[in-house]
Amino acid sequence: MSILLDASARVLIVGITGKFGTFSVKDLAQSDTKVVAGIAFGRDGQAIDNVPVFSSVGKAIAETGANAALIYVPAAGALDAVLETIEAGCPLIAYPGDGLPVLDAMEMRTSALRAGAHLVGPNSPGLISPGKAKLGFMPSFCYAPGPIAVISRSGSLSYEACFRLSSAGLGQTSVIGIGGDPVRGVNAAEAIALFHDDPQTRAIVYLGEIGGSEEYALADYAQRPDAKPSAALLVGRTAPAGKKMGHAAAMIGSYAESWAAKIDALDRAGVVIARDLDGLAGAAASALSRAMESAA
Amino acid sequence: MHYAFMLLTEAHGKALLRAAAIPTPLSYELRSLDEVRACAVGFPVAVKAQVSSGGRGKAGGIRKAASAFELEDAFRSIMDMTFAGERPQSVLAESWLDIARELYLAVTIDGRAGGFSVLYSPRGGVDIEDGPPPLNYPIGLARNFRAHEFRKLLEGVERDVKLRERIISTARRLLDVASNHECLTVEINPLVVLKDGSLVAGDAKIVLDDAAAFRKSATAAAIAASREMADREIRRCADANLMLVWLDGEIGLISGGAGMTMAAMDAIDGAGSEPACFLDVSGNPTPAGFSLAFDLLDRALRVKGILISMFGGGLHTDRVAKTLIDILKTRSSTKPVVLRLNGTSSDRATEILRGAGYHNHATLEAAVADIVKRVGRAA
Repeated sequence: MSILLDASARVLIVGITGKFGTFSVKDLAQSDTKVVAGIAFGRDGQAIDNVPVFSSVGKAIAETGANAALIYVPAAGALDAVLETIEAGCPLIAYPGDGLPVLDAMEMRTSALRAGAHLVGPNSPGLISPGKAKLGFMPSFCYAPGPIAVISRSGSLSYEACFRLSSAGLGQTSVIGIGGDPVRGVNAAEAIALFHDDPQTRAIVYLGEIGGSEEYALADYAQRPDAKPSAALLVGRTAPAGKKMGHAAAMIGSYAESWAAKIDALDRAGVVIARDLDGLAGAAASALSRAMESAA
Repeated sequence: MHYAFMLLTEAHGKALLRAAAIPTPLSYELRSLDEVRACAVGFPVAVKAQVSSGGRGKAGGIRKAASAFELEDAFRSIMDMTFAGERPQSVLAESWLDIARELYLAVTIDGRAGGFSVLYSPRGGVDIEDGPPPLNYPIGLARNFRAHEFRKLLEGVERDVKLRERIISTARRLLDVASNHECLTVEINPLVVLKDGSLVAGDAKIVLDDAAAFRKSATAAAIAASREMADREIRRCADANLMLVWLDGEIGLISGGAGMTMAAMDAIDGAGSEPACFLDVSGNPTPAGFSLAFDLLDRALRVKGILISMFGGGLHTDRVAKTLIDILKTRSSTKPVVLRLNGTSSDRATEILRGAGYHNHATLEAAVADIVKRVGRAA
């Protein structure tokens, strides 16, 4: 199993003729993912790498049975593209773009929740269920199938972290990028709930950072008696307060947003802490062995 | 383009509050001695530095003046000060308030609320951060605000019925400001209760959402103004789509992606040294981007050595290797450089680097250990 995305995915790429769109048509095909339709205004009836192109998401879904969308449009048009896709009935949408106004992220999140759809992003590489399907632009060689769930606020960190996990024999059920912006579609609490319900996920690895409060969702979860074992790596231990470290949400504005406060809460909740990237595979293995012990 | 964050000056913020019918003290923004001398304010006044960074009160940027002479004196000395590297462009001379109480009221973005949260504390003022965390009313979209829900929360911390209702209506107006101007934070601290029980905004801290600049010309103008104010190096990086934050250490770090750049900073710390910067070149991993990065770090006196750590996902590290060799060949600085290019095409990157006499480290940790050792030797 996996969360949200599996081998039955039929992917629609909105913005299929752009730089990211043309890259992903080929890249997803090489990652065993079926791309069944693309959207590009005014190019109805054409094809990109044998993928039919439509002008409307509704028509594309009706004709191809697409059930997952990857949306590559600039921030100025992103809200319209995401709303069209949600309202066309698409249950799973990844919007990887960054620089999205927060008000638009709020509208996207609200619309997705109301429709019962899952939105991944903004400012995220997307979602991958290794060996099954990929809805995003993360490098496939970093991933391998296995029992570990990965939730990450950072794209770059998730690539290298998963590469290290895979190299250590710790494959993944699904890896979800919840994004580096303050308001998002699927958030940490919702991702954790999905992985909790996935029978093949044995342990959860959380890759977080300074700023915001997402990490406390894991601390809350880890205290539940039925929680799956978890490990966490938070980056930004050496980041100064009051400075935005790349991501819109990676800024320490209060003590609760600092590395020390979050690590303390996670540690007290029983999450295995990796102090550095170097310690991540060990922490993940330790969480997984706890899962094995409790199953035995 | 990315700058730290778009904090408006108090004068600008209060203009937005006034336009939303939130009372502010009578005030004059003064830019020159002529304006100071012509100012017909009644004394005493608060004289406040207008800067786009926090903490000015503790840094001496707020003074009391009881006469025209004292106002001129305060103006001269404040305009001569710097706050987090920034010189005030003006001061605000503001009627001294007859304060009964100081409250804290803010609208901010909260990830766990999925949007806006309203924050309230019955004890506002300069030491707000030392007290208990404020009451949090999570709402998400502004249209989800419900006076009765907020009232229920306030009942636990605020007994005065009239005051409670004034706080509720002010909170709704703050949400209007936040929505209409696309703000990440609209904070009034202190929200002053006057002796007659009415509320006045003693300060205004408004942070605009820079991502909305494409449809908010006022935000675009504020970004352009902050670009003029920004440090020259930060501006060069922002224009080239690199993300730079200077830190206090000695290892110049060039990395890719916000998360991995922070991970590398932490690894340098773990190895007993300190990073000199957060420098993310993933937005522009080209000869121009890397050249700018080297130029900045080679010039910076504090930087004793440079670590380049890139993990190639979409990025082809063999191309990066070629770019780096071209730069290293012509570079005049003798600061040691340590390389670590992993991921896509890293075998070819290693070969290319070896051909030019450079070692490509297999892991971040090995590269960090190497640069820390070399810098230690250089010191």
